[in-house]
Amino acid sequence: MLTSPESWAILGGAVALAGGVIGSAIGIAIAGSAGLATLAADSKQFKNVIILASIPMSQTFYGLITFILILTVVVPRVAELGGGSGFSVLACGIIAAVAFCISAAWKGDVLASGIVMLPKTKGRILTNSLMLAVFVELIGVLGLVFTILGLSMLGLM
Amino acid sequence: MLVDPQSLAVMGGAVALAGGLAGSAIGIATAATHGIATLAEAPKQFRNVIVLASLPMTQTFYGLIILILILTGSVGKVAELGAGSGFMVLACGIIACAAECGSAIYQGRVCAAGIAMLPKTGGRILTNSMMLAVFVELIGVLGLVFTILALSMLGLF
Repeated sequence: MLTSPESWAILGGAVALAGGVIGSAIGIAIAGSAGLATLAADSKQFKNVIILASIPMSQTFYGLITFILILTVVVPRVAELGGGSGFSVLACGIIAAVAFCISAAWKGDVLASGIVMLPKTKGRILTNSLMLAVFVELIGVLGLVFTILGLSMLGLM
Repeated sequence: MLVDPQSLAVMGGAVALAGGLAGSAIGIATAATHGIATLAEAPKQFRNVIVLASLPMTQTFYGLIILILILTGSVGKVAELGAGSGFMVLACGIIACAAECGSAIYQGRVCAAGIAMLPKTGGRILTNSMMLAVFVELIGVLGLVFTILALSMLGLF
């Protein structure tokens, strides 16, 4: 047998972490590209650019939390229950993957817009950019919370 | 059996929530990107920008309602009925996924258009923007209602 319920559950965790890693890479790259254009025009904004460009990194850690939870807590439960429970864990992992990937990638867009406005506003836009980026961050946090909710409603955690 | 009817039903709920999360992230990010450009020229519009940028978040909660309804109601019925009933729940989840994802993304566009007009109108456009955004919101609510309707017509709820 090439796959077992446990291996489907591990695939769920891996997908969640992969979503977070891909999303963070795209988000940081989008914000970083805008940062280079801004720094070429106004090199004094370096500190603010670094702060804003590092924000999409958090989704990688949410993905890691999901992966570790599935490996340590969920996989032993799946080994007991067997059957389709591994596929149910994969379903929950897909919730997390979509939430982390999309929220991190699009948060990069919001931060890029903030970085572009840094020289014009002499850095004042930093607070507003952070607050609006946190709105998108919230979707990533909700993805993590709802994945854990789904796993515990299924009795897999 | 690695994939059983119940786990396909769980996948249906997961797809619905994933659609809501993806749509909300993209919608909020679209509105927030325009919000930062607006705040750079009119910092006094911060409250109105926050109100309009948070509107696409609701679709996440419609997705969550579908997931909880499927996990608490449909999965038990699917376990009794067996056979193709799990795949039917997945089909109903795809209705919800498409409705929540599409409506949240395009609600973000409506909110972005409203945000761009805030400085010119001195904030007066807020009410009109919210009313037009609620039109798009309605599609998300209809997606939730019709998914529940389909599940109860199939006797899976």
